Amino acid sequence: MKGFWPIYKRELFAFFVTPLAWILILVFLFVQGMHFFLLVDTFARQNEVGADQSPLQVFFGDTALLYMILFLLVPAMTMRLFAEERRSGTMETLLSAPVSSAAVVLGKYAAVVTTYVAMWVPTLLYIVILRRTGEIDAGVALSSYLGVALVGAAYLAVGLFASALTKSQLVALVITALVLLGFFILGMSSFVAREGTTLHVVATHVSVWSAMNDFSAGLVDSRRLVFYGSLIVLPLYLATRTVDSWR
Amino acid sequence: MISVSNLTKRYGPRVAVNNVSFEIARGEVVGFLGPNGAGKTTTLRILAGVLDKTQGVVRIAGHDISTHGLDARSAVGYMPEAVPLYPEMRVGEYLTFRAELKGVTRHARKNAVHAAMERAKVTDYSATLIGKLSKGYRQRVGLADALVASPPILILDEPTAGLDPNQIRDVRALVRSLGKDHTVLLSTHILPEVEASCDRVLLLAHGTLVAQGPTEQLRALQKPTGLDLVLRGDEAIARTVLEAHPAVDALVFSSAASTFAVHCTWKASQDSAALAAEGTIDALVRAGIAVREARAVGGSLEDVFAALTREETP
Repeated sequence: MKGFWPIYKRELFAFFVTPLAWILILVFLFVQGMHFFLLVDTFARQNEVGADQSPLQVFFGDTALLYMILFLLVPAMTMRLFAEERRSGTMETLLSAPVSSAAVVLGKYAAVVTTYVAMWVPTLLYIVILRRTGEIDAGVALSSYLGVALVGAAYLAVGLFASALTKSQLVALVITALVLLGFFILGMSSFVAREGTTLHVVATHVSVWSAMNDFSAGLVDSRRLVFYGSLIVLPLYLATRTVDSWR
Repeated sequence: MISVSNLTKRYGPRVAVNNVSFEIARGEVVGFLGPNGAGKTTTLRILAGVLDKTQGVVRIAGHDISTHGLDARSAVGYMPEAVPLYPEMRVGEYLTFRAELKGVTRHARKNAVHAAMERAKVTDYSATLIGKLSKGYRQRVGLADALVASPPILILDEPTAGLDPNQIRDVRALVRSLGKDHTVLLSTHILPEVEASCDRVLLLAHGTLVAQGPTEQLRALQKPTGLDLVLRGDEAIARTVLEAHPAVDALVFSSAASTFAVHCTWKASQDSAALAAEGTIDALVRAGIAVREARAVGGSLEDVFAALTREETP
């Protein structure tokens, strides 16, 4: 893994030195903040709250707003990773250094995942706020954040691989957005497909909606872990092979 | 230090480098010379470990690049032709990053970066954004990058491309001084470049190694093919004098207000262009023609190439 740390650090630096990063974070936090506000507002109006409906659960599970923003955020975060280095030629200097292809891929990947996690950190404040009005199930909070982290990490891995496929940031962005949207639409078809059909089974597995519903209910299903784990490992492996192929 | 045997690189059906073999010893400064598209960059990229070969064996500082790629790359400082850099980083930041990437330990890093910046004369620009640097300074940062881990081997792809004459002189002086403690392989398509800084030349054309040898040998091949003169006096007399000279093959006259220019071409059988020039100028002066300018022409890389390829293929 020679070269992992310097690549990781440079990638973080490169991301935060551009205005794009700050705009993305701003948009992300604004949307999540609005989302949270509307949610709390709705709950405050309700006289009776169902036992299986906590604000936290709705925030993470019952709304599309949460992952809709990922379709915008993830492609914009990952498009630069390889496409820009190949366009400008810096990939050549990077590959001439004594670093392994795996270190290049993982260094870049770890940097975007770190950024992604950092974007979520301010939302911990929502939990602090909610705790002042009622009890928070720590298990549910933990599994919700695990879900958010897994979904994000998988999407970022897909985006990283897409960026390795082209020299154009725009093309990388479009590929990533299309793949993620494809996943989303396939997942949504679980609502229209007849129960018992293969499509329905596949769709429920892929559906980010039902995945986040589970996670936000404190349900950590090993099938979900395997699915998102594979969606992280496979693109990273393919990206490593792609970097190898540039030599 | 560098050992290449039967190196071949194919891009699909096109052969970019064809069965090239050479050795470079420690401390040598070797010039890789050839016209554009001869396969220089391809070969250098393979040696630097950024491009895979199709066939052949390449050893860098004793490490086979196919099996011990990391060790081989550790021994090389490589500067690509376009000098790609990260525009959003400052020069000092970039070199620190590169030093860490190349495995320079934390406590040695600061000194390594400082020494490389001194060497490449960019110390004053340490805090400047790379994106704001001129072409010449980007080139220097690229050189500093190649030097920063003090590798035993330096591979520089067209280190003077796109520089102004002063900068070219600086870079050549630097390359010469680097030869003292590094093995240097640089590529160029400019003949004087090799003469100015290299001990030995590898001549590449159409992917094949056409010739190799010490720089003096190359210089000997570089024979002027003619003489450009600016004369004042009687044009008719000048013409008779020149036509009578045994070395002259063809003449082209062009008249100006008070002077006229002559382009004479030497006969192919003429051995010494210098003697021919001396002889014709002497004859002109004796005939009462004033010689204002005289310049040897020809002996370009193309001519040398033609000469060499003729020798190789009987």
